[in-house]
Amino acid sequence: MSVNVSGRDRQVIINPLVTCMPMGAMWAVLGINRGIPLVQGSQGCSTFVRYHLARHFREPIEIAVSSFHESTAVFGGKKNLNISLKTIVQRQNPDLIGVVTTCSSEIIGDDVYGFVESNKEELKDLGHDNTEIIPINTPSFAGSHFVGYNKAVDALIKNLTVINENNEGDDNKINIIPGLLNPGDVNEIKHILDVMHVPYTILTDISETFNSPLNPKKQEHPYFGKGGTTVDEIRNISANKGTISITKYAKTGAETLEQTHKVPAVTDNLPPIGIKGTDDFIMTVNKLTKHDILDTLMTERGLTLDLMADVSARYLAGRKVVIFGDPTLVTGLTSFIIEIGMEPVMVTTGSEEKTFPTDIENMSKGQNIDVITEGDLKVVEDYVKDKDNGVELILGSSEARFINYDTGIPLVRFGFPVYDRVGYHSQPIVGYRGAKRVVEMITNEVLAKYYEEKHWKLQQ
Amino acid sequence: MKEVSIGKNDIFEQKPMKSPTDPIIDTFKSRESHICVKSGNLSLPQCDTPGTPGTVTQRTCVFGGARIVLMPITDALHLVHGPIGCASCTWDIRGSKSSGSKLYRHGCSSDLTEKDIIFGGERKLYDSIIDLHKLHDPGAIFVYATCVSGVIGDDIKSVCKQAEKITGCRVIPVESEGFQHHNKTKGHWIGCDALLDHVIGTSVHENPTKYDINIVGEFNVAGDLWGIRPLLSYLGLNIITAITGDSKIDDISKAHYAKLNIVQCQKSSNYLAKKMEKKYDIPSLKVNFFGISSTINSITEIVEFFDDDEMKMKAEVLITNMTKNLDEELEEYRQRLKNKTVALYAGGNKSWSLVRSFEELGMEVILSGTKNGMKEDYERIMGVVKEGTVVVDDANSDELMKLLKKYNPDLLISGAKEKYIALKLKIGFCDFNHDRISAFAGFKGFLEFAKEVDAAVSTNVWDTVKTPNFFLKNDQNCKS
Repeated sequence: MSVNVSGRDRQVIINPLVTCMPMGAMWAVLGINRGIPLVQGSQGCSTFVRYHLARHFREPIEIAVSSFHESTAVFGGKKNLNISLKTIVQRQNPDLIGVVTTCSSEIIGDDVYGFVESNKEELKDLGHDNTEIIPINTPSFAGSHFVGYNKAVDALIKNLTVINENNEGDDNKINIIPGLLNPGDVNEIKHILDVMHVPYTILTDISETFNSPLNPKKQEHPYFGKGGTTVDEIRNISANKGTISITKYAKTGAETLEQTHKVPAVTDNLPPIGIKGTDDFIMTVNKLTKHDILDTLMTERGLTLDLMADVSARYLAGRKVVIFGDPTLVTGLTSFIIEIGMEPVMVTTGSEEKTFPTDIENMSKGQNIDVITEGDLKVVEDYVKDKDNGVELILGSSEARFINYDTGIPLVRFGFPVYDRVGYHSQPIVGYRGAKRVVEMITNEVLAKYYEEKHWKLQQ
Repeated sequence: MKEVSIGKNDIFEQKPMKSPTDPIIDTFKSRESHICVKSGNLSLPQCDTPGTPGTVTQRTCVFGGARIVLMPITDALHLVHGPIGCASCTWDIRGSKSSGSKLYRHGCSSDLTEKDIIFGGERKLYDSIIDLHKLHDPGAIFVYATCVSGVIGDDIKSVCKQAEKITGCRVIPVESEGFQHHNKTKGHWIGCDALLDHVIGTSVHENPTKYDINIVGEFNVAGDLWGIRPLLSYLGLNIITAITGDSKIDDISKAHYAKLNIVQCQKSSNYLAKKMEKKYDIPSLKVNFFGISSTINSITEIVEFFDDDEMKMKAEVLITNMTKNLDEELEEYRQRLKNKTVALYAGGNKSWSLVRSFEELGMEVILSGTKNGMKEDYERIMGVVKEGTVVVDDANSDELMKLLKKYNPDLLISGAKEKYIALKLKIGFCDFNHDRISAFAGFKGFLEFAKEVDAAVSTNVWDTVKTPNFFLKNDQNCKS
């Protein structure tokens, strides 16, 4: 059993795997019902994120910006924020504004907490006191987009959740922090909880805001995606039975709830990708709520195992896989890849996550896995193109399509962004049904690449 | 630098209802003058002002503007000196095609982190440049300043100079701090300046001819340049380089030998042509290869400039041949597109240059606007659109949605951020920005254009979407 940890062997990053903190924060805020992020920074900080999110989800992405210009860098961003908040409450009248800071606002030393407080007073005097305004510190240079997500969820909880001494909440309701999962994944988690009759609050719920139906009736205006977690729901989560952070990389909110409101937190499980991850998740829900694990879920589990047994030995066993993406996805997929008998030879996340190498080591069952911290796509490319490594499959975002063109080694698209295939984000990879889909996606790519021409009868 | 001009009273002012001059859509008072309807030659929207803070803007930053101009240079590397986000949200999003090197599609970052903010990031930048040179040996490395490198005061110019000395590779600073200006056009100019100061005029052209030209402001998005180049080559013109579509640093460095600059995207690149005119005495000609008559006019004007009999003859043959079957081939599309309406909301250049193209398809432009237009852009729009056309400057997402709802065009021409707003409103959409798939320039490009526009407007999907379903007829059963 061995895991070889190494870092990128150069300073420059070539084709980044991560983006900066504010994007993760905007993602979290967009999971709030009638919520809008306000970026305290330059126009590019909102525009490029809107572009990035829009092409992944194929949805309108509404993110406001306070439009920093040169004078702002000199005089500070107070005035910009003041005008921005007034503009938004008057135009969109949202339930919540998440003020997302950027590198420039952090460096020039904007006190967004102070600004927001004074603005709240002013807006109240003007008769607008129904919009929650939450400052979220996301200095871009201090972490990746999943760190930004974590900070945003925590800021929402710290600012909104009220103390509930009487514990008068819904019986057995639990909180779920999904991390940067796709709408299909969040829906699958809801499905599992629904099957177990467990009520829940998702912090935050992008399952519909990032996947909204085309309304045959007139589109409402101003535009808010459908659904999302309501502000009231977040206020009351302190009464719930427990919080499950789907990923340990976005657990601060869960810890806050435990420390401040005594809501038990479960934060260190594997994400529910694959059999063990899903088993753990369902067991956790069962422990927190005492709700039974019903046959429906066991049937789903059985169907996935059945498929795994059908295809593993024949097509997948021993095949060498490279996995890259955010740490939640990579730990989940690595665990599952091992479960289906494939061999993860290299994994990388694009950031320096302290526990990531140990997490990978813990799931390794004798395989040699190269863990590259602070990797980039060039690391992946070099590794895949080195014939000695014998890589047969790449799991990761659309950004790796060039490696696929150059080498012919199949790329199964996972993570963010996936913009050159449709439907990826609306279907799950979590839960038993998601696991089944992952096996299907991987096997079909393997069949197309390694068998189609050679075997006249693939089902044998 | 103009200060943001909206105060508390402005935003919360109660607007009295005034009938004859009712605003076109409900928006802030300070924004009303940015939207107007063409009537006579009087109206022109207010423009080139800082956007209203707090809106969902369609604009971007100066860094984005500079990057867009330089990114298509195929054998160059583009190194962003800033936190990772500035690079990771902007690499390989240009849609510019290359016939050779793929280096330009890489996204490189010096990855400034917390420590660098305190101690400075110059060392990191230097190391990054050295790394890139070792790995790729590019034609040039463009180093972009960002908001952060600007605020912490890294001297990227001197780092570039030093790295250039060590590597022997061109290392070119691009002073594109994102917040410099509200208008990304400033970024285009900064990109052009980097070329003027560091590339153009730096090498010798071995075999100059009297038919040497540059195509300025053509970025080869989806391969547009490849629709234009054969037309010009047929005329006997020798294209030194496009600036910057499918170009190489070495070719651009010889651009000063041209006898003529033809300028396709005038919004971004007229600046460069004018400066080259001043510095190298190269005249320039504004051209437009989108649309049939525009392409014909452009060819004719270029030929007139060279005043060469053989070229004139060739041009006649070219135009006759290329347009011979065009009407026939377009007939099918024109039948379906007749009298359909279009809204344009794109970069400055397209907002006027496409108007005629749509008229050639029998369509009517009812709205045209730009995100970063200046006075001369709007004058040009006003010069080509019909009476009654709505002209809008810097429409934010909210206003764009209101305008689309009010005027309900059959098609919106814009970019990726606007796409899904239009589709949610059940309005056809055709991408004319970086994400488009087909080349639209030249005669063949026009056919592609017609085909895509037709697909966007005439697809059965809109019938399906708009046909009321039996269970939606009763409003009570349909909670939205």
